[in-house]
Formats: sequence, structure tokens, C-alpha cells
Amino acid sequence: MLNKLLFKNQDRKQLVIAMIGAFMGITFLITSIHYLIKVNEFGEGADILGPNTIMVQKKVSNSSSLKLTRTDFSPEELQKIKSEPFIRDVKPVISNNFDVSFQTDDPLVPYFRSDVFIQTVDQEFLDVKNINWKWKEGDKFVPIIMPREFLVMLNTFMSASGIPQVSDDLAKDIKFKFKLSNDDNTKKEYVDARIIGFTNEVSSLLVPGSFMKYGNALFSDGKEQKITQIMISGEESEFGLVEELLIKRGLESKNAQMVVGRLKSMVGTLFLVVLGISVIAVFVSGLVLIQYMQLLMSRNAYEVRTLLRIGYHPHEIIRKFFINFVKIFGIVASLGLFTFFIFKYFLDSMFETGGLYIDKEITLGSIGALILAYALFTIASYRTAKKGIFKEF
Amino acid sequence: MKITLNKVLPTPLASIAHNDNSIWGSFIELNEGQRIMLNASSGKGKSTFTTTTIGLRTDYSGEIMYDDKNIATFSPNDWAQIRQTKVAVVFQDLQLFPKFTVKENLLIKNQLTNLYSEMEIIQMLEALEIGDKWNQECGLLSMGQQQRVAIIRALIQPFRWLIMDEPFSHLDIENTERCLKMIHDRTIEQNAGFVLTTLGENHGYSFDHELKL
Repeated sequence: MLNKLLFKNQDRKQLVIAMIGAFMGITFLITSIHYLIKVNEFGEGADILGPNTIMVQKKVSNSSSLKLTRTDFSPEELQKIKSEPFIRDVKPVISNNFDVSFQTDDPLVPYFRSDVFIQTVDQEFLDVKNINWKWKEGDKFVPIIMPREFLVMLNTFMSASGIPQVSDDLAKDIKFKFKLSNDDNTKKEYVDARIIGFTNEVSSLLVPGSFMKYGNALFSDGKEQKITQIMISGEESEFGLVEELLIKRGLESKNAQMVVGRLKSMVGTLFLVVLGISVIAVFVSGLVLIQYMQLLMSRNAYEVRTLLRIGYHPHEIIRKFFINFVKIFGIVASLGLFTFFIFKYFLDSMFETGGLYIDKEITLGSIGALILAYALFTIASYRTAKKGIFKEF
Repeated sequence: MKITLNKVLPTPLASIAHNDNSIWGSFIELNEGQRIMLNASSGKGKSTFTTTTIGLRTDYSGEIMYDDKNIATFSPNDWAQIRQTKVAVVFQDLQLFPKFTVKENLLIKNQLTNLYSEMEIIQMLEALEIGDKWNQECGLLSMGQQQRVAIIRALIQPFRWLIMDEPFSHLDIENTERCLKMIHDRTIEQNAGFVLTTLGENHGYSFDHELKL
């Protein structure tokens, strides 16, 4: 009976307009947050190196070929790059100064041997933090990160040998070994090695710094080692700035990572714009709903006042308005969530068709945003109802 | 429950000269179970007395006490409880819901305490000759019929005091007598008192006490 009394005096048209606005805002809010997170996650896990991590070197020009300009990095240059706000970390990449060959050492895999080029990478640049990226003399094996193209080459060799090809996981079980030697091959040592991850960003085998130090100490010819490559990790969604820095400083990197970084920044920015518009839409439609509530209370001022005068408790009337509007927003939020699932179904299919395999799990962030919007609306509607009812007391 | 007015003077009436026997600015005690007539001409503050005494207006000087408690200290919780179980009111402008039927107007009040059954409420309407209006919108009733609905609404709650602001202004003598009888019976039944404001007419009822404004 109270509902009939308090909510009969409604201008449904205004309510429907406010609900449509809130519905659209909520739908785009969840969708944009979901895909913003997905875009930022894109490519993670496929590479053991952290997201937005690239290995760069100075561009080789005619003048550098003639040794008129330097191709190595000085400590001051590293410091300058590191001081940029969009750069998370910079570390030099150390290369081997001795001969290294890499070979299979497993009865299940045919013999394969190749001279290789090894480099170091610091633990901070690895995406997986719980791996044991350490080595010391006497350890059972050296952990290595293999370029994915090396695995492709290995699989081509396996296929040609009539042996089944190996997946990433199986490759991690194959026993390998390094042969370290000096220039004239008078000194050599074999060290067991195991793959712990793969990378698309680097063409050399990556090893812990301690192993490189060990090899360089025992097998190098003693020449001074120059830093010709560095590892850079940039801030999320600021890859454009990293790219600008590379151009400014005459640096270059593998194009693939740059393209992915640029694409992620671009799509991320696009979703950020949609997110901004959605937040404004949710905010404005929330305000319209609250304003509608105020209007409804003011239209029912006589009814509210009379109820209070005949003994109704203000909180009971507040509860009626509050629950009514929380239900309305609940319907809007549910419809928004349902529409998001429909959008998601079509967008995921479109991304897949376009070759972008995005993880299909629902992001907690998008659900969290919905809960936050709902909670804020709940608080706002309670406060508005309380203020409006007590005004009539 | 005793109602005490200690030198109460509503702000809008402060500039008007009041008689020596006026309750405004005096010390007045309304004792439990008393049947009181508040007699005054228009503009002397009969409605102001009603709204001030039941806490709807706070623009006055002095003190109004329910037993030993100053009503200025009551919380919204306290007022809801008082208006449900201690003080019933018939407002001069009746305060009915015009789009609601008689039934809805009465049941929305009765559901606060569930003191009466629907059948008993219908019997009360019949006693006041409006039993056939049960399902009719209040806004479509005559003023006299609406007054009787408002009186019944005030009576279907437990109360210690019934305060009525010119409740019979649109009723003929017969209907006034019927209403007064029902009010009398209900106050006796509840051992409650009432205050009836009038323009001088005592409606043939024998009041315990008469107050003037």
C-alpha cells in the first residue's frame, strides 16, 4: 500500500530516459574496462621477458662502420635513459667474449650442435618472478632462455630427422649442454643446460650474469668488453614515448615488439577514451536518477508528510524510496552486465577472426567497476532519500 | 499521560494581545482522561495549538511537556512511537490521501498497530453512516464524509490523548452526535482524554474542562 501511495505519482518517461542513460553508461563502462585490461594483458605469458621490455642497440651507420661514431653505451648514457619518467628500468646486456657451442645431450633427442651467441638478462626483466634465474659453479645446470626462433629451427631439424616435434613444455625437459672454449680451443669445459622459458624479443640464448662472468673470466682473451646492447622496460601504455626516445637517441629494436607495444598503446588509449566517456555517462545518468528521486519525493511531499503525521517512521519511508531506486539501478546494472556478455561474445569473435587471441575470462576489474558504481549509487540514493524525507518531518 | 504547557507562546502569535484566561503564555496542565473543549474564535491559534502540541511546529517559546519530558527533546523515533500509540489527531484539513479509497486510507493507518480487523473498521464506518463508501476514493467524498473518515482514522490506534481540530465543521447535528458518541466510547475504553477545538459550539456534550485562547 505504501508503494502504491509513494510511487503512483511518477513521470515514467523521465525515469525511462534516465534508465536508458544509466544502462548505456554501465554497459560501456564494463566493456571498456574489460577490454582495457585485456589489451594490457595481451602478449603476457607468451614471452618470459616482462611486458614492454625490449633489447635495443645503436643504429649502425656508415660513420659508425668507419668507427667515426660509437656503437657502445657509456654509463652516462644509460643513466640518462633511466632518468626518463616513462622508463622503468635499463640494464646493460653482456655478451660472451669466448667461444660457445650449444648441443643436445639427451638420448631421446638426436644429436644437434650449433655455435651460439649468448647474452645476459637481469631477473628484473623476467615476467616470471618465481623462477630460479641463478647459476654458480657446481650447479647441475645453467638455466637458459631460448629464442623461440631457435625452437622452430630445432623442430625443423627434428621433423627432418623423422622425430616428433616438441612443444614449449617438452623442450624444457630436454637435456642440453654448452661447450665453453677459448680462441685456440686449448681450454674447454662442458656445462649442462636446461630451457626455462622462451622469448621472441632476443635472437641470442640468454643466461644468468654469473654464468657469463664465469665464462668470460676463464675463456676470454682478456679484451675489454663493450656494452653494445641494453635492455629497457617502459611504463604501461607509454610505448609511444619509448619509441620517440629510441628515434631521438638513434637506437633500434626488433620491430615486432615495437609494433605490439604501439598497438597496445593505441588500442589501450582508445578504450581509455571509451572508459572516460562511460564514467561520465554513468555519473550523469546516476545524477539524473537521483534528481528523479528528488522530484518524486517533492511530488509526494504531501503523502510523505501525512504518513509522518499519522505515525509512520521516517526510516520506513526512506527505506521505501531507497529500495525502489536500488532495485531500478539493479535492473539497469543487470541489463548492462547481460549486454556486456553479448558484446563480449561478438567482440571476442571479431578479435579472433582478426587474429588476436584474447583470453576470454571475465576480468575482475570490470565486475569491480560495476560493484563500485552500484555501491556509489546506493550511498547517493540513501543520502538523498534521507535528506528528502527528513525535510518533511 | 499528562500534557503541560508552560508559558507557551507561538512566535506567529507573539504580536497578538491575548486574554488573561488564554492558554498562551500561561501554565496549563491537561490531565489524563480529561475531556477538554478549546474554545476560540478564528485566528486565535486553534490549529497552532494542535500542531505545536503534537510536535509539528517548533516555533514557540516556553515548554511543552509530555509527563516530565520536554517534547523539544524527542527524536523522530520518539515522535513516530508517540503518534502511533499515544496521541491521535484529527487535523482541520483532514490529511487524507485523496486518491486512496476509504479502505486504503484506514488500513494504511491500522497496519501500523493492527488494532482492529477490517470488519470492525467497516462497522465503525457504518455507525457513522458511511459504510457504503468503503471502496470509494476519498477525494470524491463530501467534506462531511471525509471528516468522518478522518475521525475513524484517528480512533483506530491506541492513544492516551485525542486532539481534534474543528472535526465537526462540516457535519450536521445528527452526525456530530454520532461522532461524539463514538469518540466518547473510545476514550472511555482506552481511559484516554481528548481536546476538541471549536468556534464556541459545545455540541451538547458535557466537557470536563474548557480552555480559551
